[in-house]
Amino acid sequence: MSDFFNANLVLVQSTLTGLLLALSIQVPLRMGVFSFAGAGSYGIGAYATGILVLRYEMDALPAIALTALGTAVIGLLLGALISRLGGLYLAMATVAFDLIISVIAINGGELTGASTGLFGIITDFTTGQMFVLTVAVLALVAMSEVGRLGRRVDTVRDDPELAASMGINVRRYRLAAFVVSGALGGLAGGMNVLVRSTVGPLDIGFGLIVLALTMIIVGGSRSWKGALIGAVIFTWLPDLLTVIGEWQELVYGVIVAVAAIFLPRGIYGVLQDGTRWVQRVRRDRRAAARGGPVVDADGGLRPQEDEAAVLVAQAAEQPVRELDQLSGRTQGAP
Amino acid sequence: MQDLVSVVTLGSVYLLFALGMSITWGTIDILNFAHGSVFMFSAFSASLVLERLTLGLVPVLLIGVVVGALMSVLIQVVAFEQIIKRARDRRTAEMQILIGGIGVAIIPLAIAQHHTQSNPFGLNASSFTVESISLGGLRITNIQVLTVLLALALWAAAAVWLRRSRQGLALRAIGVDAQTAALMGVDRRRLALVTMAVAGGMAGLSGVLFTFSLGAITPESGDTLLVKAFACIILGGVGSMLGVAFGAYLLAAAEVVILTQTNGSWVEAVSFGLIFLVLLVRPAGVFGRKEVRRT
Repeated sequence: MSDFFNANLVLVQSTLTGLLLALSIQVPLRMGVFSFAGAGSYGIGAYATGILVLRYEMDALPAIALTALGTAVIGLLLGALISRLGGLYLAMATVAFDLIISVIAINGGELTGASTGLFGIITDFTTGQMFVLTVAVLALVAMSEVGRLGRRVDTVRDDPELAASMGINVRRYRLAAFVVSGALGGLAGGMNVLVRSTVGPLDIGFGLIVLALTMIIVGGSRSWKGALIGAVIFTWLPDLLTVIGEWQELVYGVIVAVAAIFLPRGIYGVLQDGTRWVQRVRRDRRAAARGGPVVDADGGLRPQEDEAAVLVAQAAEQPVRELDQLSGRTQGAP
Repeated sequence: MQDLVSVVTLGSVYLLFALGMSITWGTIDILNFAHGSVFMFSAFSASLVLERLTLGLVPVLLIGVVVGALMSVLIQVVAFEQIIKRARDRRTAEMQILIGGIGVAIIPLAIAQHHTQSNPFGLNASSFTVESISLGGLRITNIQVLTVLLALALWAAAAVWLRRSRQGLALRAIGVDAQTAALMGVDRRRLALVTMAVAGGMAGLSGVLFTFSLGAITPESGDTLLVKAFACIILGGVGSMLGVAFGAYLLAAAEVVILTQTNGSWVEAVSFGLIFLVLLVRPAGVFGRKEVRRT
C-alpha cells in the first residue's frame, strides 16, 4: 500500500486538490448559482500562498489559512457585486473574473514572476497534512448536504420563490455560496502550490474551469461523492490513457461529451439509481414473501399483485378508460 | 489611420465569428461552446484539402463554409438535441448544453492537435496570394478588404433575415417563448438545424478568412476567439444584431488602443474587463432588451 502511495504521490496529491477545486464549483451549483469563480480563487490562492511563503517567509499552515480567509473575503465581495445576475450571465461574469486573474498574474511583474511564474516554494508541508485538511473540508461540505441545511440548499436551488416564502433568506445563501467557493478554491490552489513548489500563469487559465466542470459533470453534480468520483477519474484517467497513446485527448473528449449528454446526473447519479433499484427489488421480494403490502420508494403503499388487488386496480382504471374513449370520440367530431 | 484599418478588420473577424453565436444564443437558446472548435476545424479541413489539391480562393472559402455548417448540424443533432430531450427544465438544459459543448469541442481540437503536433497550420498552398495594396498612404491587404465586405454583407443579410422573413419571425418567436411558438405551428427542430447550419457556416467562413489574413493559426486559437465573441455579444446584448456589431467593433477598437499604447500584455484583459463592467452596469447589454422570464 505504501509503495503504491509513494509511486503515485503526485497523482494522490492532484486528486486532493482536484477534489477541492471541483467542490469549489459544485457548492455554488448546488445552490443554483452558476458560478465558476472557484477557478479564479484557485489562481489567487496559488499565487497568494506562493507569495506569502516566498516573499514573507511564512510557514505553510498559516500561509494557507490566511490565503483561504483572503479568498473567502474576495468571494464575498465578488458575490455582493454580481449575485443579482442570473443564469448564463452570472456564469460569463465569473469566467471573465477567472481570466482577469490570469492576466493579472502575467502582468504582475516582480510580485507574480510574470510569465515564468513563481518557483522554489518549499515548505515542510506534507501530504499527510494535506489529506487531513481535505478530509476536514470534505466533512464540512458533506454536512451541508444532509438534514435541515441540505433540504434548505435544495430548495434554494430548485425553487427560490418557494424558499423565500418559507422564510429562507435566498440572497444570504447565494452569498454564502460565493464565500464557500472562494475559500475552497483558495485552499485548493494554496495546497497545490505547496506540494508542487511552482505556479505559473498557464496553470490557472481557462483549462482549470473545464477540468473542474468535467469532474463535476462526469462524477455527479449533486453530491460531494460525485465530485470525488470525478476528481479520481480525471486525475488518473490521463495516466491510464497513456496506454492508448496518441489518441488519449480524443478519448478524453468523447468521455466528457458522452457523460454530459447521456448522464445528466453523472456517474454518482447512475450508481444511486442502481442501488435504489436493487433495494426496491429486494424489499418487494421480502414483502411478497411475508405476504404484507409492498412499500414504495416514496413510502406509499402499492397493492399486492394478488387477484383481489388486480381486480381493485382494474376497477379503478375502468372510468378512466371510458373517459379516454369519450375524448377519442370528441376529437373525431368536427 | 493605419490603426483604424486594424480596428475595422479585426472587428470584422470578431463580427463574423460572434454573429452565429449571437443568433443561436438569442433565438434557440443555445450557447454553443463548440463554436470556436468549428471555426478552427473548418480552416484545418481546408488546409488538409490544400495538401492534396491546389485551389483558388472561392473553393477554399466554400470548403470552410460547408465543413462549418456540417459540423454545427452534427453537434446539434448528436449533442444538443439529446440534451434538450433529456433535460428537466430550461435552466438545467442551458447548463448541460454549455458543458456538452465544452466536451464536444475537445474532439475536433484533439484531432487537429494530433495531426499538426500543436504547430500552427496555414493555407499557403492555395493559388490565392495575399497582396497588399496602398490606398492614400494606408496599407491594406486584399483579404482584409474581403473580410470586411463579407462580414458587413452577412451581418446585414442576417439582420434582414431575422427581421423580415417568416423564418426569422418564427425564430424570434422561439426566442421569446418556445412553447407558444410551437403551439403556433413553428417547427422548432427544423429551424434550430437551419440556424445552427447558418451559424456554423459563418464560423467556418471566418476561420478560413482569419487564417488567410494571419498566414497561420494554431489549433487552440478557437478558444481565445470564443471568449472574445462572448465579450462582443454581452457588450451589445444577446440576440441583438445591432448590438453584436457594436460589440465587435468596440472590442476591436479597445484592443487596438491598448496594443498601441502599452506593451500589449494587457490586451487579453480588455475583453474580460469589458464583459465584467457591462454586466455590472447594464446586464442586458447596450442594445439588449430586458429579459422577462416566466417559469
